[in-house]
Amino acid sequence: MQFQPVYYDGELFLPKIELNMTSNQSIGIITDLKRKQLLMNQLVNHSEYYLFRAGQSEYMRLTVEELITFLIKVTERNERVASLMDYFALKEERKVKIKDLSSSKRMYVTLLRVFFAHQPTLVLEEPYFYLEEEDRRHFKRILDDVSREKQVLILTSNLEDAMISCDTIYRLNELGFHPLDIRDSEEDKQEVQEQDQANITLQKISTKRNDKVILFDPPEVDYIESIEGSILVHVGGENYVCALTLTELEQRLLNFGFFRCHRSYIVNLQKVREIITWTKNSYSLRLNTGKNTVVPLSRAKLQELKALLNI
Amino acid sequence: MSFSLKRTRAIFVKDYKEFSRNYAVSIMLIFPIIFALLFRGAGQLLPGAVGFVFNASFVILTCFAQACLIAEEKERNTLRSLMMTPATTMDVLIGKSSLVFVMSAVVLAISTYILGYEPASIWAFVAATILSIILYTAVGTICGLYSKTLLDASLSIIPVAIVFTGGPYGGMLLADDFPIFKVLEYTSTIQLVRLLDIRNAGFTMGDLLKPLLIILSWTVVLTIISVALYQRRLKDE
Repeated sequence: MQFQPVYYDGELFLPKIELNMTSNQSIGIITDLKRKQLLMNQLVNHSEYYLFRAGQSEYMRLTVEELITFLIKVTERNERVASLMDYFALKEERKVKIKDLSSSKRMYVTLLRVFFAHQPTLVLEEPYFYLEEEDRRHFKRILDDVSREKQVLILTSNLEDAMISCDTIYRLNELGFHPLDIRDSEEDKQEVQEQDQANITLQKISTKRNDKVILFDPPEVDYIESIEGSILVHVGGENYVCALTLTELEQRLLNFGFFRCHRSYIVNLQKVREIITWTKNSYSLRLNTGKNTVVPLSRAKLQELKALLNI
Repeated sequence: MSFSLKRTRAIFVKDYKEFSRNYAVSIMLIFPIIFALLFRGAGQLLPGAVGFVFNASFVILTCFAQACLIAEEKERNTLRSLMMTPATTMDVLIGKSSLVFVMSAVVLAISTYILGYEPASIWAFVAATILSIILYTAVGTICGLYSKTLLDASLSIIPVAIVFTGGPYGGMLLADDFPIFKVLEYTSTIQLVRLLDIRNAGFTMGDLLKPLLIILSWTVVLTIISVALYQRRLKDE
């Protein structure tokens, strides 16, 4: 798959991109709205690429079963409706009209058009954005089955969405097109081992907001994330900037039940309610903070976490 | 361009279900019948009453339904998605047009029965009606292609009504004062009226053939234009 460079006001807006796509692999590109449009506008060949754009809507007055029947017939597939309804886990919504479905279910049903595509490459824009967790899981399962024979490219602006079902993730922004390393780096681990002793004298985390210094007790903190170099401390749904690095924070907070669950996340284990399994290789942690907060958990850290929690 | 009966039928069935559940659009089906009831008494006295009912029905039913079917697909981006399935342009157009054709034919048959109209030649009458339905389906396709939403499509009927119904009728009224309007005699609308006004007694084959041929040429030209436009507009999408 190849993309031509795009210039905007004399500056390179979209670099030349060459993707080596093999089947049984899905690629995610994290980028912004404008670049998503530019990428999709280059994929005009209808016999090569099936494009699922975010604005796709559905025949609202058909029932779910009638829609699936229509899609089977119009794409001339040989599947039976009943078995597909089972496969899509839509048995209960069989007789419901699309317009009467919940918005997440409606999006899920609309996304099923991807399943019927005959093109060798599927390109999806923000597939997971409007889906609730259950529908995400179903769609992820279907997409995994589809990607066994086809190439899947997901365009999203959200890292977590890309992590749900992509094997390789790239980030495309004004700095260019770069692969995103989602493995944990080795250097971090070594630094941790150098200082085994926890520093108990420092009990407060100092943060800054609007030029005020705010101090938090570690148990108050829900989780800490690193976004593009700056450290955000999340407390009760709000976030505050912290001057320390994640590695420093990790050492200070070790004795307060904090855990480095991802390269750019530290989570307060006291507040973890659920370990969500998207697939064998992708996990998230759900916090019990009232708001529906989900923190990514990298695959390498899962064993460590299990040992820590004796599970 | 390939054509598959299976895909066309799938599109026909899908559009039938969508159309019949969209009451705002499917209510148009009863208007020709209401017209027929209104003109029932006057039909025999007023020349051109049958022609008027037919011409009005073609615009508000045939043309409107076709424009709405296409515009609604465009509004929801389902047309674009449909173009990525094996279904071809022909499958989509024929599937939709045949639904509109069947609906128009049934409703007009009922209207004719209510009006109590007896055509001079049943074959010429049926042929002219079929050709006109195809003609207005083509016009509806063009309207649908140039409208982005359902609302646009319903408004696009107004220019069609002016050009195809208002224009020729108004022109014929002014034709005595302004001879230039005599050209409008050759529109399909007026030719249909002329054909329907031929009474049982004393007509020749030429009387029937002339309007039929003029309507046929209009139908062929507009159908070719609509198919060509459809294919060109879809490339832009």
